[in-house]
Amino acid sequence: MSEFSDWFKNSFKECYCDRGNLVDEKRFSEIIQLVLDNEADEESRAIFEEKIRTCVKSNGNYEREKCVQETIKQKLCEHKQEIPEDLANTIKKSIGL
Amino acid sequence: MSEEAVNKENQGTQRQKYSEKEAARVFDQEFMPHVNSMYNFAYRLTFDEDDAKDLVQDTYLKAFRFINSFEQGTNAKAWLFRILKNSFINEFRKKSKQPAKVDYNEVESYYNSDDVDESITTDLRVETVQHMIGDEITLAMNSIPVDFRTVIILSDLEGFTYEEMSKILDIPIGTVRSRLHRARNMLKEKLSSYAKEMGYNK
Repeated sequence: MSEFSDWFKNSFKECYCDRGNLVDEKRFSEIIQLVLDNEADEESRAIFEEKIRTCVKSNGNYEREKCVQETIKQKLCEHKQEIPEDLANTIKKSIGL
Repeated sequence: MSEEAVNKENQGTQRQKYSEKEAARVFDQEFMPHVNSMYNFAYRLTFDEDDAKDLVQDTYLKAFRFINSFEQGTNAKAWLFRILKNSFINEFRKKSKQPAKVDYNEVESYYNSDDVDESITTDLRVETVQHMIGDEITLAMNSIPVDFRTVIILSDLEGFTYEEMSKILDIPIGTVRSRLHRARNMLKEKLSSYAKEMGYNK
């Protein structure tokens, strides 16, 4: 059981109406984040995966969120600052290595 | 940063007693490989090459000074990031050339309020982000408050887990989750506004 097991169960319940339709997309986006960040435990992940297999709306939200997050991450990672050439040596020299 | 503050990272672990040679080896093999990530983190906090360099150097000096608080085999990168973040908050911000930062407590209490999601967009299209270049996304990220920017950097660029981020930032793990969610929404909101301005959504 992970830190977020209870949070997941409660939030997941609130996302869907009695008929099982997704009614709270904002809360669902928090759940998606937890899954994409690999912070959901196995049980929570299984519940989530079952839902996105059977609910078109949930699946659409998940795919869009995943794609947006991956694209942002990829573009930010590609855009890294150039490291000053002498930085590592300056640090080593400053402590006498 | 006091020795006590550095030691907090290693609560419950044995304090080490390295020989001079061992300390040099630990520094070189466990700390130095993270210099690029450290510089990028510092630059994304300060937006200034010289300031970032100073912050990284200062962090490494502290790491060496308190090396006996570091236990080999534990997460050196998280330990260094924690020192850097504390140096930035406690010392660097005060003497920074930058204008005064947004009051974090004010920002967080606003973004934790119930009505905040009303203004947050959920309609950022995948194609819109795909059309943007790294510069545009970086600019948008740089415009969100530093404490929110920090969680995105730690999670999405450096790959830290929520638990590691909780230790680096000294906040509960639940706050990491909610702050990261707010931060990503803020970034999406900025990107969405930018896309509208540039006509990407037409």
